Amino acid sequence: MQYVGTAFRRTGTLILAAIVIAVATLHGQRPASATYDSERQIRLEGSITRIDWVNPRAFVFIDVRDASGTVANWAIDIGNPIELERRQWKRSSVRIGDVVVVQGTPTRGPARQALARSVMLKTSRKPLFTAPVPRAAAARRAPTPRWPDGQVRLGPPPGQKGYWGPASAKALVESSAASVRMNDDGLLADLSDADRIAPFQPWSKAVYLHRQRTLLKDDPIAHCMPPGGPRQFMSPNGFQFVEQREVGRVLVLLGGGNRNWRVIYTDGRPQGQAAEAVLTFYGTSVGRWEKDALVVDSIGYNERFWFSNGGLPHTEALHLTERFSRPDFDTLKYEVTVDDPRTYTRPWKGGWDVQWVPGEEIEEYFCEENAEATFVR
Amino acid sequence: MRSAALPLICALVVLSARAPLAQEGHPLSGTWSGDWGAGPAKRTHVTMVMVWDGTSITGTINPGPDAIVVPAIALDVTTWTVRFEADAKDGRIAVEGRIDDIAATHRTIAGSWRQGSAKGDFKLTRD
Repeated sequence: MQYVGTAFRRTGTLILAAIVIAVATLHGQRPASATYDSERQIRLEGSITRIDWVNPRAFVFIDVRDASGTVANWAIDIGNPIELERRQWKRSSVRIGDVVVVQGTPTRGPARQALARSVMLKTSRKPLFTAPVPRAAAARRAPTPRWPDGQVRLGPPPGQKGYWGPASAKALVESSAASVRMNDDGLLADLSDADRIAPFQPWSKAVYLHRQRTLLKDDPIAHCMPPGGPRQFMSPNGFQFVEQREVGRVLVLLGGGNRNWRVIYTDGRPQGQAAEAVLTFYGTSVGRWEKDALVVDSIGYNERFWFSNGGLPHTEALHLTERFSRPDFDTLKYEVTVDDPRTYTRPWKGGWDVQWVPGEEIEEYFCEENAEATFVR
Repeated sequence: MRSAALPLICALVVLSARAPLAQEGHPLSGTWSGDWGAGPAKRTHVTMVMVWDGTSITGTINPGPDAIVVPAIALDVTTWTVRFEADAKDGRIAVEGRIDDIAATHRTIAGSWRQGSAKGDFKLTRD
């Protein structure tokens, strides 16, 4: 399907220089699969009528004229404005009245809305915006940084910046089934692969399949709920460890969602009783070092989040054992054992690698759940 | 007047903007409330607590001094059909219903109800 918009007088020449930017991710807070139909592509041409420079997703709105001459206003999702600004796209990069050509993915429903793959000024034919490509893995293999006493550092060495960014997996999958095909949101290419994801109980498999069949539309993260459990380590916005050895704890600072932090106590305290725990999104965590790995035991989770992309269910009985190791400077190896006998038939393991992003601070990204209201159309 | 209305308006805006919450944990676990009866004029309020322990679902109708124990609740996950029976002083209760929209926090179970010789319908909503 192609829409050709109204020819519109270009209002200036300020934007002649091409600004090709790489936006970190197609992930919003809401899984893209729930909103956009990646099987379809769309070309839109029209003049900009409005610019919403808002978190978590920025939009430009354009008037598009179809073949019958009818004009309709479309919302074009161009990603997170903070990330856009980091890559030199400014609110002033386009102006109301500019005529642009948009290539992108339309929504699944009737809404006149698309996720931009590229935005180009019609007159100059130069791209203003192109969707990102995944970061390439670091080529170097520098040695693991350590504290003076030899313990592995999980954060940056003194005087350096950096954070943990892209994860090598799209969703938590039992280790023996790592080759299951899925999209970036954890949406399976073939639902018959569900049994390879985890050892579900019948009810949890039914809930998982329901979430998959409904394209993850009920994902709590779409409502700015925190990404508890393993999901916090596959956030597209990254995370950071702050090791406060003097007080015996490690803080995990999360770049996405509502910018939470999680505390892992390493002061030797025992794990509490699950029945007495105040249930939270991140649970209560105690950690200890086993040689070069930080092993973290967590209980006390509430049920109000999905602990992985793709919609894995859990109950309050969820018990996680996480293992963090840093085999080289640029790689964090994350392994987790999931033990929730009310949801799964046995404990199971999965994990992935996370890539270090050198020289940068953790990305800013605030979930304000305001984009939905912006483009209810 | 204006200053008094402003906080109220703000409160309404905040409340109306409250995000819908998704399904949590096991679809039956939690406290449900509603009623059952033989017709619109003969309704009995019901509170029911259902618990999933990993192997079976049990329940309690109207927790408190007159509680009715539900020893087993059957859930067919292919149709989200719920069935249970329980002994009450007014006769044995038998219920069969279906969960509507399992993704909703405040999901409902509705269907048929029977107690002794009386029969009708029921509807429970998860709190």
